[in-house]
Amino acid sequence: MNNEQFRSFLDRHGADPARWPSDQRAGAEQLIADDRQARRTFEAACRLDAMLTRHMQKNVNEAPSTARVMAKLADRLPRQRQPFWRLPAVLLDWQFAPAWPRMAALSACAVLGFFIGISGLDRSVDRLNGQSVSAGATGIGAVVFEPEPLTGARP
Amino acid sequence: MDDSDEALMARVARGDERAFREIARRHLPSMLGLARRILGNAADAEDVAQEALLRVWTHAPRWQPLALLRTWLSRVVVNLCLDRKRKAPWVELEAAGDLADQTPLADESAETAEREQKLAAAIADLPARQRAAIVLSYTEGMSNAQVAEILDTTVSAVETLLVRGKQNLRRALAPVIDEDKENE
Repeated sequence: MNNEQFRSFLDRHGADPARWPSDQRAGAEQLIADDRQARRTFEAACRLDAMLTRHMQKNVNEAPSTARVMAKLADRLPRQRQPFWRLPAVLLDWQFAPAWPRMAALSACAVLGFFIGISGLDRSVDRLNGQSVSAGATGIGAVVFEPEPLTGARP
Repeated sequence: MDDSDEALMARVARGDERAFREIARRHLPSMLGLARRILGNAADAEDVAQEALLRVWTHAPRWQPLALLRTWLSRVVVNLCLDRKRKAPWVELEAAGDLADQTPLADESAETAEREQKLAAAIADLPARQRAAIVLSYTEGMSNAQVAEILDTTVSAVETLLVRGKQNLRRALAPVIDEDKENE
């Protein structure tokens, strides 16, 4: 490793040997011990690292900002976005038990319809409908098939 | 009651606003710090942190605990900061006014304060992704792999960002670094 490569190594991994890759640590430490130029590069990297760490980890009082953001979040929150697989999950979780009164009503209607069908009660209703239709056929036809007033066209 | 981040997120996913506020209270200071260091001003940092938390709320039902919540939050904050940097021009530190930190510098010498200002300006002049990589690396003490996860890139790309970022800083701060050497 020449000095330029060593500088790049320090930029990539920092000046703290504890953070250096284990397979390169021994070689880098040996270089610092043997080479004066490498030692100067290492010392410069240590100074830059120390400045950056000091600057970045400087204690800043975030309490006022935190309070302002928390106050804004106290307002009504927007609607959450549900995942697209939520609907099948809801269907799988469906509880059928509360639906039994409706199921019972549907069954009762089906049974009632069946008995009306086999007892012939519906025939008299059909006859009555047939008579009323034939009796009023002329009047209905006159209304339905009357020519269109503007063009005189018949449907 | 289990008050781990994962348990709270499960409650947030079911629409529990109290759990959401607990998550916000727990993570908001670090989110604000990260955003402020990348963006360079407190007002934008507040907007970013608020938007990130609203995303937590709206996307909670879809959230999968594949990574730590803290890592996921950092990723959201960094992406929002980078988006904001792309849209808005950088505001010079002098024009941006004071940061939220208004603690007196009584125990710091004027020289130290000046060095800090130069360093802040040099960091502010870095391209956004180089600055983000350096901030994550030095503020949070993250490994290059963790930084790569947050920036959604490869470890070698992060290393390139760090190398270029530090080259730029060395160029801008050469006199300051030399002063620091003399002071030791």
